[in-house]
Formats: sequence, structure tokens, C-alpha cells
Amino acid sequence: MSDVPQKLPRDSFIDEIYAEAIRNDRVYFMSADLGAKALDRFRKDCPGRFIHAGICEQNMVDVAAGLAQCGKLVYLYAMAPYVTLRCYEQIKVALGHMELPATLIGNGIGFSYTDAGPTHYATEDISCMRALCGCEVISCSDDTSVIETARLTYREPALRYVRLDRKFLPQVYAAGDTRFLTDGIVLTDEGEDACIVTNGYMLHKAREARVNLAKQGRRIALVDVYRIKPLDPKVVRRVLEPFSRIVTLEEHYLAGGIGSAVLEAMADASLSRPVLRLGIQDRYFCENGGRDYILGLSGLDVPTITSNVAKFLS
Amino acid sequence: MKIEKLKEKSHWLRKELFEMVVRTKKGHFPSSSSIAEVVVALYYGGYLRVNPKNPREPDRDRLFVSKGHAGMVIYPILEDLGFVPKGELAKFTKAGGMFRFYPDTSIPGIEAISGSLGHGLGIAAGHALAAKREGRKYRTFAVLSDGECYEGSTWETAMFAAHQQLDNLVAIVDRNGCCILDHTEKCVRQEPFEDKWEAFGWHVLRSDGHSYVELTRALDEAVSGRIVGKPIAIISKGVKGKGVSFMENRPGWHNRMPTDAEIQQARTELAINCITS
Repeated sequence: MSDVPQKLPRDSFIDEIYAEAIRNDRVYFMSADLGAKALDRFRKDCPGRFIHAGICEQNMVDVAAGLAQCGKLVYLYAMAPYVTLRCYEQIKVALGHMELPATLIGNGIGFSYTDAGPTHYATEDISCMRALCGCEVISCSDDTSVIETARLTYREPALRYVRLDRKFLPQVYAAGDTRFLTDGIVLTDEGEDACIVTNGYMLHKAREARVNLAKQGRRIALVDVYRIKPLDPKVVRRVLEPFSRIVTLEEHYLAGGIGSAVLEAMADASLSRPVLRLGIQDRYFCENGGRDYILGLSGLDVPTITSNVAKFLS
Repeated sequence: MKIEKLKEKSHWLRKELFEMVVRTKKGHFPSSSSIAEVVVALYYGGYLRVNPKNPREPDRDRLFVSKGHAGMVIYPILEDLGFVPKGELAKFTKAGGMFRFYPDTSIPGIEAISGSLGHGLGIAAGHALAAKREGRKYRTFAVLSDGECYEGSTWETAMFAAHQQLDNLVAIVDRNGCCILDHTEKCVRQEPFEDKWEAFGWHVLRSDGHSYVELTRALDEAVSGRIVGKPIAIISKGVKGKGVSFMENRPGWHNRMPTDAEIQQARTELAINCITS
């Protein structure tokens, strides 16, 4: 596929941070023993500002808080479950309460650590992280949004959790298209009959379902939920109001995920629509078979998404 | 400040702490009393170089009282030194008062929120690391409880600080041997306590937590510049509830409030300075 970017999301992100680190000696990058091709260059050229925290996420967050208090721009990098739930209370107390800017980079969201099992899957991180006072939650659906997010983190420092897929994701936004930064929630594909509100890997699955539905005469719009928190109810209303039916689709448990976030914003904006929420089943997944197979166990494979949306519309 | 003066500060501080608790029925006197001499030595003994007029001065020394339940121990000192206006102490935990049950950064002179155990050493290590990277000369002190050494995060940072050779970081660990339910050795054994810090790569010093002769000797050594490449742990043998005989070394008094009769007895005892060296 020609639109597949050349780099993994984490490499695109870290390359931007590297460029800033060369310009700005306040940039510090901490890792709880997770590497990346792009990180090798950072470690070589900025050795004093790459900090191995040990496989000690709690220590990583508390030390980052101290560095941030001393004016450093700190990035904390680990697999998504470990940079969030493993050190959740540290994030609340040391970063959240003290209102310190830091970027938590969660690599490998959803089931993207294929076949690794529940320890490595990040399928409740959205609900946990959006519950933390003062923490922005961002999920990147393509390379453009990854790059622009990295630039945002040093241009406008804040406490942010950035969700990165482990795998290449095809293009959604043309270079320079930064509507997601201002609006947070963006119409990416036109349609009139209904819209699917989703993000990340599932946005690309929704695109396949959209093609199938078009063959059935259904014109389906797609909406990318880039910034899950905060979501501006006024923008949510503007983007979703044209649609008589709404589907939310996520590689995440339904409790507190993007479906919840969007429904809350709709309620706040007094926007009432029939909604179908699609997410992963409320159980842990240990089965082999790969990401799409695991998604299929919750009815999140393209044929089942297609048929469920068609049923919802009929 | 001469030791005699430090002892006078102890006498004053311990009485203030007791009255704060009695007045509001909030706070932890026993845990605070256990580290009273540690903080008096730091603030009045010349070890902690801070500026009440500019509490965020970049080159100030840092103090993190990580055992947040005893964070109130420095409130009288912050008022005495002028970090906060006179009269704030009387408003401890009251609406509109600056001093909270557990400290946070809204209070001038407080470096970090505390109350949840096992954070202070890590945040302190971040400051110490920043000093190393920037070539600044400030020192970072963290006062920990032994109960806090049950938290895994304390040992995560202990390992990290040693690896980073943070010889500008001094942890003063209050080894009073008590937590809430019982003595630490009966709850979950911590001994050999000093060996653990040594094994994690720290330079360990020892002190009686209530002797200025010993505390100043340990602090002099800690800031002498002779300890190179290692963070420093001062294992300070404190007595929880020091100065009130019926509270001393009794875990059950962690957050118990004294009766009127007990208050009178405690005041009688605190009228005499329990610090002798």
C-alpha cells in the first residue's frame, strides 16, 4: 500500500522529540526499558538527557515529577499498560495534583501487541486515564497525527497521555491537515446515512466496513476521536448533529471508553440520537490467532461490523 | 546555631506540635515528634540553605518530608522563619488557613505534595538529578519513615539514585520501628534495615534521632563532600511519640486523640525539654 508510512508510530514520534531535544536542552526522555529505532539516535546524541528509569514505572513518574519541577520537559515511555495502570497513583499524585507538564507515551494500544495477552493489551487505559483530573488523552490514527502530536507536546506542554499503535497505520490526514488539533473530533470520511465514531486501528477497520456498506447503498461517514479528553461538547454537536444514527466503535472495553466519552459530550450538548456502541467483550483475551482474530471474538471484525451497522440502520 | 539553641527549638517545636493536634483533633503528633530534631537540625543547624523571601529560588536546598502524615512537623518552623505570615499556625486545618492536614505545594516552603507514601524519594531524586545535569550545587534532603520503606517505589528509587551516583541526595530515614497496627518487626520484618540501604548502593550513616550531637555529626559528614558518587542515607533512630511517655514507642497512638486527663499529663511532661544532647 502506497499510503503506509515508512516509520512505526513510535519512531515518528521520537524523531520529532529528538529534533526538539537538539534545539532545547530542557527535553528529557525517560524509558522503563522500552526501546525504538529512533531512540538509539537520541541516546547517542543526548546521553545525559536519556534516562533509563529501570523497569520501575513508579520511580519513572516520581523522578519525572522532580525533573518537571526543575523546568524539564519530560517524556515517559513504556508499553501502554505499564506507563498508565502500573503507575496510576504516581501519575495522579505527583504529576496530576502538582499540575506538572509531562508526556506519557503509551506504545502498543488495544490488542496491538499481537498474541501477547492481557498483560500487554491496553484495553482499559482510556477510561482510567480520562478519569485523572487534568490529564489530556490523545489517540493517534495515522502518521500525520503522530507527528503533529509530538510537536504539540513541546509547543504547548501539559500533562498528556499519548496513545500510539504498535503498527503502521495508513494515512488519514494529509500532511499539514491539523483539524484534529483544534477540534479534537474530526469528520474524516463523508456520508449521510449514519456515522461511525472511532479512532486508531478501528478507524481503518471502519473504512473497510464503509466500503462494504456502500455496496449495499449505505453512505456512512467516519469520525476520528483524536483527543478523547477534553472533548468540547459544542464541537461534538457540530460534527455529529447531521447524522440521524451514530455508531461508536473501539478496541477498548465499553466502560469508560470513547463511546462513553462521546455520549457524555452529546448529553452535555443536548444532542439526542440512537447510538450503537461496539467495543470489546467484558472479559480477558488469552487466545492465539492475531489481532483481527481477537477483535472478531468481540464482533469487531469487518464483516460483523458491517452487518451490525446495517442491522442498526434498517 | 549551637546545640543549646537547637535544644531550645526542640522544646518549642514539640509543644507547638502537640497543641496543634489538641486544638484541631487533627494531625499526627507521635510521627512528627519522632523527626522533630531532624528538621530542627536541618532548618536551624545551617544544613538546609533556603530563603523564606524566595522559597522557589533555583539554587535553594530542597527538603521533602516524604512521610506526609508528619508533614506538619515543619509548619511551626515555616511560620517562625517567615515563609508564611504570622498567625497561619493558629489556622492549621481551618477554612481559609494555608496549613493543611497533609502538605502540598500551595504552602510556601513545601516542595511537593505528601500523604501518599513512597513518592518523596523519587521526586527528590528528580531534583538531585536536575542539579547534576545543570551543574548546580544545591542539596536535596528527603525525610522518610521506616513504614514508607514497605513501598516498592522507595526501593525503585533507591536503586535508581545509586546508579545515577546522586551524592547530592540525602535520605534521612526515621527508624522508629512503629507503623499503625504494630511494630514493624511484627508486621512485616524490615531488618537488617541498614544492610538493605547499603546493598542498594547507598553510603549509610547512623544517628540517634533525638541527639543533636549525633545528628549534626551525621549531617556534617553527609554534606562534607567526602562522600563521592553515592547517595547518602542517615538511619535516624527516632522514638515515635518522643516526649510524651505514654505515647512513646506505642504504635496504637499513631492517630489516637488523648483524653483531657492525658492532655494535662502530656503538657506537664512537655514542659520539660526531653532533648538532652
